[in-house]
Amino acid sequence: MEIRDRILVVEDDKRICNFFRTVLEANNYDVILAQTGAEAHSMITSQCPDVVILDLGLPDMDGLSILKSVREWSSMPVIVVSARTHEKDKVEALDLGADDYITKPFGTSELLARIRTALRHTRMGLNKSGVPTGTFVSGGLVIDYDKHRVFVDGVDAGLTQNEYKIVSLLGKYAGKVMTYDYIIREIWGPNMKNDNRILRVNMANIRRKIERNPAQPQYVFTEVGVGYRIVEPD
Amino acid sequence: MKDRFRSIIKNAAIASAIIGSVTAFCLILQQFVQAGNFVQLLFVLAVLFVARYTDGYVYGIVASTAAVVCVNYVFTYPYFEINFEIAGYSVTFVAMLIVACSVSALTTRIKKQEQIKLEAEREKMRGNLLRAVSHDIRTPLTSIVGSASGIVDNYDALSPKDRLELVKDIRDEAQWLIRIVENLLSVTRIGEGNARLAMQDELAEEIISGAVEKFKKRFPDISIQVRLPEEVVLVPMDGILIEQVLVNLMENSVIHGKTTTELVIEVKSGGGRVEFSVKDNGQGIRPSALPHIFEGNLEPDSEGEIDSKRNMGIGLSVCMSIVKAHRGDMSAENLAGGGAKVSFWLPGSEEEE
Repeated sequence: MEIRDRILVVEDDKRICNFFRTVLEANNYDVILAQTGAEAHSMITSQCPDVVILDLGLPDMDGLSILKSVREWSSMPVIVVSARTHEKDKVEALDLGADDYITKPFGTSELLARIRTALRHTRMGLNKSGVPTGTFVSGGLVIDYDKHRVFVDGVDAGLTQNEYKIVSLLGKYAGKVMTYDYIIREIWGPNMKNDNRILRVNMANIRRKIERNPAQPQYVFTEVGVGYRIVEPD
Repeated sequence: MKDRFRSIIKNAAIASAIIGSVTAFCLILQQFVQAGNFVQLLFVLAVLFVARYTDGYVYGIVASTAAVVCVNYVFTYPYFEINFEIAGYSVTFVAMLIVACSVSALTTRIKKQEQIKLEAEREKMRGNLLRAVSHDIRTPLTSIVGSASGIVDNYDALSPKDRLELVKDIRDEAQWLIRIVENLLSVTRIGEGNARLAMQDELAEEIISGAVEKFKKRFPDISIQVRLPEEVVLVPMDGILIEQVLVNLMENSVIHGKTTTELVIEVKSGGGRVEFSVKDNGQGIRPSALPHIFEGNLEPDSEGEIDSKRNMGIGLSVCMSIVKAHRGDMSAENLAGGGAKVSFWLPGSEEEE
């Protein structure tokens, strides 16, 4: 018998729960539902789900506090569900350790893609800590972590040190959105005040070096108001 | 509380500046000519200005008292002494007081009327929007309810293909509703006077690529060209809202251009502004609609040229209010070779790269 991945959906609206259950079960996942934060708490600890889909707006507690308590003892993938206008919530959730977010309203293909990515990340991410080694390949883009070089279609893109650091940071968490603040902290250190300008300018330069058309990028994408994300490796 | 404090400071500053400059002026004038009636006249004028340019009565009354003391102390013999026995002293004081009070009363009334007018205009805009929205929402809802109950009631009678068609309609209409709601959310985000925009320096190319990505999800067949200046263009803006503006413009070009197959998005920077434009190769904008296009109450005309269901009113008026909130402006024109161009500009960042 095949082992199915178990997904915990924390969502208070019955109809949306219904939708999650139908779609996920049809796609061969084992689905458990929690409608309150308290229920979610006990299910996370007792049922050990492979992925948690967490709606931030719950009746009894703030979704972020569930995320915080999960992160104290586990790195299980958590996908946060939030509304479009709440950019701050998304950023906060990502900074608190959420693996990904999905914006309401969303389609099923988007949802399934996020779940697959999250699962793949945990499967591969056992040695997540430390500096990545080897190479990252996606289409024409190659990040050589050992040589500290980035190649596009076989040609060295000639990134500066900071530019390389940004690209390799994104590559390390490929497919996942890195928030602006997180990148700034990682590259320039914690004392750098939230200077978005310097990050934007670096990003613009990176794009001019690795993308054919900076306004229609193939490799590095912007999630407006949240952060940056690099394509998944092949 | 803080605002109130600020307003007191501001009004006090205005009042003292006016009284101060008149005093200085009189002192200088006095060097050349014998102090005469002009001093009192000038102070009456000063009181009038104070009453006109401050809020409420207090400043005018304080200013008139100050003016009377000033005239008495500085400019009437004996100089630099208060002398209450000068003839007509009380008359001057009363006259100034009356000037101050009546001008303040007039000013307050004018300001109130302006406020009322502004409110009325805002109310009208809100009404227009509400009307457009209810109109725009009802049609897709009708279709959703119709299709859904069609499936529920005739499940067995319908072929799987028909069922799929109906379900697809439901999805498309729901997506249309999402678009409307997102626009409404954008408006409420800027509508509250105190809710400030989340301004940040954003790269023009990032906002455009975000908008293009969203647009491509719904219209994968439209070809899009983006023309950017060579240099890095950083613009202070609320990225989410400007992205929404671009998505709206692109979708409008396709939905109302009808024959649109190609879009050109262009960014130009210069003269302290950054201009974004969306050009299409569609049917263009009906000339009679062009002057009112941003007003938000475009009614489908008798010729039915505007799709009676897909009213572009909300989209564009939302764009306009977002751009205005950024202190920019919008314009629309038809292109000579066919198609339309809608553009907006935003003030650039102070320090250029």
